[in-house]
Amino acid sequence: MQMTVDLNRVGAKGAIAEAAEGKWGMSIDRDLCTGCQACVAACAMENNISFVGEEDAGYGRTQHWIRIERFWEGAYPNVKIAGGYQPMMCQQCGHAPCEPVCPVFATPHSDAEQLNLQVYNRCIGTRYCANNCPYQARSFNWRDYHTMPERGNMVNGKLVFPLHNQFNPDVTVRRRGVMEKCTFCIQRIHKAQDKAKSEGREVMDGEFAPACAQACPADAITFGRIDHKDSLVSQRSNEGRGVKHLEDLNTLPRVTYLKEG
Amino acid sequence: MSEKITRRNFLKLTTAGAATAAIMTGCGPSSRYVTREPYVKMPEYTYNGLSTYYATTCRECAAGCGIIVRTMQGRAIKVEGNPQNPINLGKTCARGQATLHGLYNPDRVENPVRQGRSAPQLSTAQVSWDEAIQTVSDALSKTNASEVAFLMGTAPDHLFDLVSDLTDAIGAPAPLRFSALSMFEARATLSKAAEDLLGQAGLPFFDISNADVVVSFGANFLETWLSPVAYTRSYAKMRRSRPRTRGYMVHFETQMSQTAAKADEWIPLLPGTEGLVALALGKLVAQLRGISAPRAFASVNVQQVVETSGVSMEQLTRVAELIAESHAPIAIPGGQALGQSNGLAAAEAILALNALVDNFGQPGGVSLSPLAPNAGAHHRPANAQEMSDLVAKMKSGKIKVLFIHGVNPLFELPQSFGFAEALHATPTVISFATFPDETALASDYIFPDHHGLESWGYQRSQTGVMQSVLSGSQPVVAPNYNTRATADVFIEAARLAGGKFVQALPFADEVEFIQSKIENLIARTDGSFIAPEINAFSAYFQQHGGWWASSAESDSLSAANALGKSLNVSSAAAPIGENEFFFLPFVSPTLGEAGANKPWLQELPDPTTTVMWNTWVAMNPNTAHELGIENDDVVRIVSEAGSVEAPVYKYPAIHPNAVAMPFGQGHTAYGRFAAGRGANPTDVLAPSFNEAGDLAFAGMKVRIEKTGKQQPLSRLESRIGVYGEGMYEEK
Repeated sequence: MQMTVDLNRVGAKGAIAEAAEGKWGMSIDRDLCTGCQACVAACAMENNISFVGEEDAGYGRTQHWIRIERFWEGAYPNVKIAGGYQPMMCQQCGHAPCEPVCPVFATPHSDAEQLNLQVYNRCIGTRYCANNCPYQARSFNWRDYHTMPERGNMVNGKLVFPLHNQFNPDVTVRRRGVMEKCTFCIQRIHKAQDKAKSEGREVMDGEFAPACAQACPADAITFGRIDHKDSLVSQRSNEGRGVKHLEDLNTLPRVTYLKEG
Repeated sequence: MSEKITRRNFLKLTTAGAATAAIMTGCGPSSRYVTREPYVKMPEYTYNGLSTYYATTCRECAAGCGIIVRTMQGRAIKVEGNPQNPINLGKTCARGQATLHGLYNPDRVENPVRQGRSAPQLSTAQVSWDEAIQTVSDALSKTNASEVAFLMGTAPDHLFDLVSDLTDAIGAPAPLRFSALSMFEARATLSKAAEDLLGQAGLPFFDISNADVVVSFGANFLETWLSPVAYTRSYAKMRRSRPRTRGYMVHFETQMSQTAAKADEWIPLLPGTEGLVALALGKLVAQLRGISAPRAFASVNVQQVVETSGVSMEQLTRVAELIAESHAPIAIPGGQALGQSNGLAAAEAILALNALVDNFGQPGGVSLSPLAPNAGAHHRPANAQEMSDLVAKMKSGKIKVLFIHGVNPLFELPQSFGFAEALHATPTVISFATFPDETALASDYIFPDHHGLESWGYQRSQTGVMQSVLSGSQPVVAPNYNTRATADVFIEAARLAGGKFVQALPFADEVEFIQSKIENLIARTDGSFIAPEINAFSAYFQQHGGWWASSAESDSLSAANALGKSLNVSSAAAPIGENEFFFLPFVSPTLGEAGANKPWLQELPDPTTTVMWNTWVAMNPNTAHELGIENDDVVRIVSEAGSVEAPVYKYPAIHPNAVAMPFGQGHTAYGRFAAGRGANPTDVLAPSFNEAGDLAFAGMKVRIEKTGKQQPLSRLESRIGVYGEGMYEEK
């Protein structure tokens, strides 16, 4: 008799079912994603992500927390983008490969939120985590991009940066030498939780969304509680088209991709 | 003290005492000192004050999407969609998100200046606003009215209305509106075809959401076309909102655009044959449905279409079968199909295909877009022919004063139009540019307008939704610089000029003018809100971000007119010679027409090529191989009108005889993030027009010359494996 092992239940470290289930999760419908980059721009604006300029972008140092991937299949004239556009970001793994390699515990796992945290003021920039992330979801601050002199204006002998006015005060502005990645907009999660708590209730499904899901014109991104079976994200994730990426690595990703068709 | 104190009690007492002492000291002088806490809580975990939200309208294109801007301490932090606005229902595109990088751009025109045509530098000769208004007033009142010209962008509408009122009253020519988007979308052609076939000029509404087969002829409605957020929503509904029905999409286009990549079938064809393919499809569909081919489709020879277009008979038949068997098919004409010498006929052929399947005014079909409040025929953008006429007028010295707002013709119009010389021949050029763009720097004065997020105003919806919508704008932050609303400048200038000028604009300020324009909506009971008088109405208008009809309109349209017309489409695809290619400029999906100065838009990868921060020439890898061209080799594209240089990107999804190039870069000014970056494909476009006056820009013949130079393109995709094994085998 052959035994099948449900990797969502039994992990390399013997993860218990609750941990495997997670809390916050996301579904991304590749049939709907039009590759329009609205999520990328929204994420950058919400999370104070710096742009790096043409040269560093060419070296692969862009700081996108979310990126749209596309893979060609076939040859002209029967060429197509295989499976549609694919937004890729931190999958908030239940067993995150990035976590155990950090020597300073800057990438701990949150028990309360079931998310991978990034503690910027602990990070010493070894980049081990990025090296170990199978989704290539982490980006490193190679420079102090926000305060590069060519981005500011000299006003009365002082360098001022008009672009800094746009910074979101809820999100840390990262400096050089620090690793960063998608946080599932944890600042929005906390705001929604605190609001619900002050009103003596639970956070409602769809009450808030991360910046990417909020902007998405095609509504391809759904966010919510994957441990609540009646939430929209659970329903979409379980409707039959769902796949998780690199699941065989037993990372227990919290993002479900819905196939085309 | 008789009681004996035990050791335990002694300890309790001393602890309490110490605690009391600590509390007491807390009220004492030491509390004046701030305790320095280690940085253990990141801002993500703390409350940093409350935000204020303002509803306004996005001005990155003319679609009029409603946005809500989160502000904090007087700074705009984040753009979010307005869930109430029917156009975008809470959604935004990338350009809307990045509008804050325009607001806080380090390169803005901060003061009114006497520019003195000193391009490429922004002049430092500051003038006061009093002088500026006097200058505008003099220019208006001391010039013969017929020698004053106003050139404006497609947004905002309230300023266009104000200037229209002014020109009407003083007898000056009506203001012209122009944008590169309307040129590349060939809006005049679409409008003319709608007038001919549907009986009303304007941009028709394509109900993609309820269609089950969508046949798009180069309509890039997921990128920049007409109202991209509205149509992206429609696309999502078409795919997945109905049980058991997933809409099917076929896209005819010479190169695979971002939109084409989302189609179930992308069918490449030669540019200029879209109309022929539509006619052939119509004839085949009529046969399959067992009806005699209406007059519109009678004359087409299907076999000939197969030969000229490059679409095979099997493909045509299969698409015709799809349409014939579908309950709600729709055909959409896009800019690349209409920006051709045969564009008007192509537009009519594609609309006639809709008439054949009887979808006019039906769910999933073509309808007339409901007119937005106060919309009139003159609100349409100028076509390229009209721009060319304006240029000719300016060159011949018939224009003494030119006012420019919201458009950058030196960049957006093809060089071959000669706008630079025309500016030179115009004695006074006054720009109201927010950013130091090419045209502003070549002007005599720049009297900068506020950024859209610092402004009052409104924008009418043109299409994208079957409701009549007037999106309202209000300032979300105080102006950052010494700028002034152009509407206020005109109102003040008119007051100074007196007479018929002040009679045309008898308003205290811009807000009063806007109120006078929305006042007639108070009487409407079918709107999104009801208010008894103008002050309450204006307050609601601000709060909700505009006014719209509360329910969708429907119209009854007859298909007979369209089917009875005899349509003759000739192929616009002239045969090409040795080393000749069809040239296909397209608006960059991420930058749009004016996004190049916003650094985060520059860093967004192009959806299909993933190139950032630059311009590329998309070329089929086989063609590149034959020409001995590799990725990043800079080529020169030469046409009869001019030439342009850019590095090659080997793009696997483009016709071997065509090259494509994005529009949006190639600025010589427009701030540090835009200037000196990339190339402008309009440099090679010749001024040739179609019957509707639009530029015949698509499929122009060009030659390709190697330059021997190389310039690496920054792209998001990994270079490894993209053209290695498994993709293209080197032959």
